[in-house]
Amino acid sequence: MRKTIVLLFLALFIFPLGLAQSSRNSTLVIGVDLGDLITLDPGVCYEFSCSTIGDNIYETLVRFEGTNLSEIKPGLADSWEFVPSATGTNLVFHLRDAKFASGNPVTANDVAYSLDRVIGFAGPSSFLISDVLGIDIGDTEALDDKTVVIHLPSKTNPSIALNVLTFVTGAVVDSEIVKSHEVDNDWGTTWLGQNSAGSGPYTLARYDAGSQVFLQDNPNASRSGSLKRVILRDMKESSAQQAALKSGEIDVAYDFTPEAFIAAESNPEFKALRTDTFGMQYLGMNSGPGAPFEDNRVRQAVRMAINQDEIINDLLSSLGFKMQTIIPRGLLGADTNSYYEYNPEKAKALLKEAGAEGMEVEFLTSTGSCNGGIPCTDLAAKIQNDLANVGITANIRQMVAGEMYTIYRAQDAQLILAGWSPDYPDPDGNVTPLADYDAKSLAWRNVWDDETAKNLAKSGASESDVDTRLAIYNELTEYEALNGPFAILYQPIKAIVVRANVDGFVRNAQGSVDYTAISKK
Amino acid sequence: MFNYLIKRLFHMIFVLWGVSTAAFFLSNVVPTDPAAAALGGNARQEQIEAFREKYGLNKPIYVQYKIYMSHLLKGDLGNSLRTKRSIIKDIKQVFPATVELTLSALLVSLLLGLPLGVIAAINQDKLIDLIVRTIALIAGAVPIYWLALILINYFHAELGWVPGPGRLDAFIFPPPRVTGFMTIDSLLAKDFEAFWDALRHLILPGLVLGSFSTALVTRMTRSAMLEVLKQDYVRTAHSKGLSKNRVIYKHALRNAALPILTVSGNVLGSLLAGAVLTETIFSWQGLGSYATTGVTSLDVPAVMGVTLVAGIVYSIINLLVDLSYALFDPRISYQ
Repeated sequence: MRKTIVLLFLALFIFPLGLAQSSRNSTLVIGVDLGDLITLDPGVCYEFSCSTIGDNIYETLVRFEGTNLSEIKPGLADSWEFVPSATGTNLVFHLRDAKFASGNPVTANDVAYSLDRVIGFAGPSSFLISDVLGIDIGDTEALDDKTVVIHLPSKTNPSIALNVLTFVTGAVVDSEIVKSHEVDNDWGTTWLGQNSAGSGPYTLARYDAGSQVFLQDNPNASRSGSLKRVILRDMKESSAQQAALKSGEIDVAYDFTPEAFIAAESNPEFKALRTDTFGMQYLGMNSGPGAPFEDNRVRQAVRMAINQDEIINDLLSSLGFKMQTIIPRGLLGADTNSYYEYNPEKAKALLKEAGAEGMEVEFLTSTGSCNGGIPCTDLAAKIQNDLANVGITANIRQMVAGEMYTIYRAQDAQLILAGWSPDYPDPDGNVTPLADYDAKSLAWRNVWDDETAKNLAKSGASESDVDTRLAIYNELTEYEALNGPFAILYQPIKAIVVRANVDGFVRNAQGSVDYTAISKK
Repeated sequence: MFNYLIKRLFHMIFVLWGVSTAAFFLSNVVPTDPAAAALGGNARQEQIEAFREKYGLNKPIYVQYKIYMSHLLKGDLGNSLRTKRSIIKDIKQVFPATVELTLSALLVSLLLGLPLGVIAAINQDKLIDLIVRTIALIAGAVPIYWLALILINYFHAELGWVPGPGRLDAFIFPPPRVTGFMTIDSLLAKDFEAFWDALRHLILPGLVLGSFSTALVTRMTRSAMLEVLKQDYVRTAHSKGLSKNRVIYKHALRNAALPILTVSGNVLGSLLAGAVLTETIFSWQGLGSYATTGVTSLDVPAVMGVTLVAGIVYSIINLLVDLSYALFDPRISYQ
């Protein structure tokens, strides 16, 4: 009996009873922290995980291809036009032939329902449709089965509207299926949070909340790839992802630490991919009346006191770009100029001039990781050290992000270490929040009410001519780099490691990955 | 026995009332805004206000407490601010995973701890006793997160002997959910591949989670056995010519069982309340992970729900441990 028990125990180690190799070659397993995934309803999506998955289950009217985020391509609409109207602009889309996974044809009524429901249930990303597009329920109209028009108000820039419609919030859902699952006027969001009703290349086969997401190929989709299944496994620990990638349990790891990534670059078993992001990490300085950073000389001193090169080279292991302006690389108006240099002596002189020598501030930072995967504590400590070198005492107060943002929103943060990325791939996604006080976003949180910045931001948002818009943003980025309430630290590179047999894994700066482009050897 | 049970149930109600009240007020003392936490850093002020209104977060604290207690009396723990689902539903989803992991950890601690403790006791002060005590010391002292990462890296990544994080291999479709226990559900579905794989996935997290409790069980067993082995009836049993094993396992160990049972009960209670670190590192979606996510996302109702469930679990296990004393010691009766 004892021998049997021992043999059985040993067998647990020896016999994994693996699956056929062909099934593995058509399945991609991604190890990623799915902690931000709370729903798979594309209309509610506001987090990276949901957006990445939603991009493969659903289709939008227009889309980007690969890493090119400056040219809008046909999606469900194969053509569109801007038609001026009495109240603004009509965006008219002509739909191509397409089917949902259910077999139902994609019609203009589905488009209208999809946008109406986003406004109707007022989720975290609904403002993109209701505020940025400026439309209400009923403003998206089906003229016939293949023609849909969105009535934009005059305040809305149609170019920005098109950019917003590439985001998963504008995804088109199978209205017949979703309506049949509506409960208590919820627009089907409860059901759609755990199921799918799209026309994209994949369907949601199974969703184990907080554990994993199984995607299965959609036979009715208009585009397909060699992968029949894509599985996203929740793995919060970078070490666990590293071990799983090494053993072959996963094919893609999203959260390698910078040091582990550098090591992976020289490992023939892996491909270490440096992918772009639109994110940025910054210091916010409260510039309100009576606040520590009211005087721009003090703000400029902070900007000149921080050694950005050391942060990028040492803490980030070179996985980042030095940035000093508010529009990230890859977007129209991106400005990679350096408007100030690291100069602690000059910083001290500025502080003396402003009468702020020996100042002391409360420095808020969150637990967990900052942009680029480095612990926020490490980055905060580095900044604290740099500021101490010029005579500023920054007392670090660390807390969970939720608590930190509560203080920030109340305009009570003196100095804060935070991150930002635009909601849609348009410069206005950064400019309005960071420059326009009236938008009640980041400029407002740092109590920076500047007429020049506000006017330039508003002009850029409503300008349709690309060259004029570019000129406005060039002026604004330089002005804000030297006068704004921010010290932009860096724009991170998203480091992803895949196994060497994986081809075609391309992640764009928005975080989207087209799973149909991926294959395994 | 019946009167004793009724008395203990009344005690339990008071304990749970205390736990739930303490959890409520402590959760609301945290100087932050759950609405802002739930909606994220980029949410607009109007969205936050609407969220507060919807979930009653803008009401005075005593009103929120009254609403909370009235729902609690109906068995309603409210909805999670993060998942928007009923917390009872969320906990039902995650609790079986924790039970499965905990039982495997308990099995490890008993299978290793009992024999090691006995061996150490019968060889008191010899080399083997020193070795066992050192192993127990190390097992109790080594940080769980370090042990987990070392074992994953070595036995999974380097040697490939055991699976890594997760409850099942990614390529195996989970069985239909009946009990929430991956092992049982796969057997019910007659999916023996999934059953075998689920069993293998319990090895590393079971060892990690069971390490500290193995140390406890080993030391308690050794200590209890040393007491018992000195007793006259043990000497009598030897002199009657009974085999060494019979004396140790049938006579000595049984009489040493009470303190071992107490420690095992406490261990089970603390493990069931949430093996936070182990579940996080092994991507094990159990109560510990749910609690961690609730804390970091300031999902106050979920945190309160988990606290209450942990209180219920501890109370029930304490009761069961007390009742089982009567099984092991006929001198004990609950009249």
